[in-house]
Amino acid sequence: MTKKRRYSPLVMLFEFGKLGKNSFFFVVFLYVIKADSTSLFITYGRIIFLLAVVLTVFSIIYQWFTHRYELDDKSFHLYKGLFNKSERIIPFSKIQNINRRAPLFHRIFNMTSIHFETGMIGDNAAVTFKVISQKEAERIETFLKSATKHNEVYPNDGFDVPPVEVGHHAPNRIIHFQSTRKDIFKASFTSLSFLILIPFIGSFYFKTNEIFDVRHTAEGLFERMISTWWAVAIIVIVLTIASVAFGIVKTFLKYGNYEISSDSDYIYISKGVIDETAFSISKERVQAIEIEQSLLKRWFGLAGVKLTSVGSLSSGEHKLEVNTLYPFLPVHKAYAMIADILPSYTITKEMTRLPKKVFWLRMLWPSWFWLIVTGFLLYFKPTILKLEQAWLILSVVLLFWILGVRWLDFFHTRYRMNKHFMQFMQFKKGVLKTSLFISKREKVIEVNVTRNLVQKRLGLASIRTINRGKPIRHAGVDDVPIEFANAFVKWYKDRENEVTVE
Amino acid sequence: MTSTLNAPQKRLAKEAIKVWLISDMIANLIGFLVLGILFYLDIRFSWKEWIRLLLIILTVFALIGGVWSLIHPFLSYKNWRYDADEQFLQLKLGAIKEMHQLVPMTKIQSVATEQGPLLRRYGLCSVSVETMGSSHTIPALPKRAAIELRNQIATYAKIKEVEQ
Repeated sequence: MTKKRRYSPLVMLFEFGKLGKNSFFFVVFLYVIKADSTSLFITYGRIIFLLAVVLTVFSIIYQWFTHRYELDDKSFHLYKGLFNKSERIIPFSKIQNINRRAPLFHRIFNMTSIHFETGMIGDNAAVTFKVISQKEAERIETFLKSATKHNEVYPNDGFDVPPVEVGHHAPNRIIHFQSTRKDIFKASFTSLSFLILIPFIGSFYFKTNEIFDVRHTAEGLFERMISTWWAVAIIVIVLTIASVAFGIVKTFLKYGNYEISSDSDYIYISKGVIDETAFSISKERVQAIEIEQSLLKRWFGLAGVKLTSVGSLSSGEHKLEVNTLYPFLPVHKAYAMIADILPSYTITKEMTRLPKKVFWLRMLWPSWFWLIVTGFLLYFKPTILKLEQAWLILSVVLLFWILGVRWLDFFHTRYRMNKHFMQFMQFKKGVLKTSLFISKREKVIEVNVTRNLVQKRLGLASIRTINRGKPIRHAGVDDVPIEFANAFVKWYKDRENEVTVE
Repeated sequence: MTSTLNAPQKRLAKEAIKVWLISDMIANLIGFLVLGILFYLDIRFSWKEWIRLLLIILTVFALIGGVWSLIHPFLSYKNWRYDADEQFLQLKLGAIKEMHQLVPMTKIQSVATEQGPLLRRYGLCSVSVETMGSSHTIPALPKRAAIELRNQIATYAKIKEVEQ
């Protein structure tokens, strides 16, 4: 327990130093390089620069005077402001990392800087002491540690990432997937990677045109070649084969030698033909699973599996990442693999569709985009390809396009709350590319339900879940029946049953 | 909506309406002042025609906004509810678009009270919480209630879930 304190006055000196460093370039530019300049630009530049410096100096002093901190036995209290007063409390238990650094400036004065990092994102993410005496830093750190002694905050987070070795396996790992030649073929077609050659070919064609200058040397060999149909056919065939081969090679280099294995705690992925890379994902830290299918993947019966996970905190950095298991898994294999690798997740294939009335709501809802575009078209009435009614055609086409998108979206949207074995929420949506989102209740960090006037009228609501990730993962479905939204809120409220606290 | 499922009940301080009315009025005054200056400059230096058109459109929006800012504080006050228990912070707000938020206490990372000059005049404070992915503010509570709520949330939030 301590009293309210100001930060060290050296903070001001440190900030002044930083200001000096940042304004160095401007000083050199405005007063050395352009010293003799009388241009208006430079004069105004100097005025603005001086104003900025004065304001910054003032704000540094003001901040030092108004900012204070205090520790009670459980949390930090940070005070700010004179006219706009604020007091912020950050419980010690939320501190995940402590970072101490003492650059040259700090060492000269025998000081240090210390950051207490939390799980938040943004400016206020950490409790920062920019300049603090060694003694005070030590005192706060030990104080914090003794206050949270039974749950160690630092640095052991219980998740030390095991070394990932390329090439050979620990005996207790189970291999779930190894890419075969067939997988690579399928993958190269669905990823359309062979199309990559088209722009190259296009530019090649125009380049050769320039080189051979087709127009002027009409007798040129190239021109003659191009002008016979069988030559064109051969060129097309050769190029097609080349681009397909290119696509396959490219896919092979990227996804050949792909292997997914796991043991009880980690998932291991190794990939690459020339450069082998390998990494691991902690199973515990998987926040959500997503199964994605593009139109082509649906036709080929493939799916991609994405895991949103929070990286190890012991590395000192707050890593949140999304990992793709393998983007071209056969669907049944994808489901089976999730069941194998993450047995705590079960995916239910039967999901509920939105009520019929939502279909009409979606279809009849005004499209602002269409209205604005049509407004413009009506006003300007552009003539395209000598067609005077072009605006009308464009408007109608756009309308059908929008309705088509809405229809597909409605058709693909499904949801499911799983309450039996484990607690899950599943959402599926998408227009051409569908994605199925699954998260455990304990991993959902927040939920909300919204209703606009129309939804109120029709007994509908929009539900959202928020998961950790980078960026924060919002998922949800619009226009579910209100009864389901209520059940959803109740479901989330019951999360206390499965969450264990320290 | 979720009324049957112990939806939040507590309300904001009634003075919130006044605070909002005054702050909206100040904002509107500044806005109209800027518009007025722009109109003056427009006439004085006879700017291009489309600028006048733009200014007129802006004025129309500002007028609509002005009318709305007279209604909005009452609606907002009427529909704001909050509650905090050991498990959740619950917020319910919005007249036209109603929103019900559920934030588990264990996910709250920091909590703060804030007080600007206007709030101080009516003895009010705002309480804001930050989680790992969002921040929420209860805009106006009597100062004592705000401090109480802040300390209460801090106590509840201290609890750490085993795996975050």
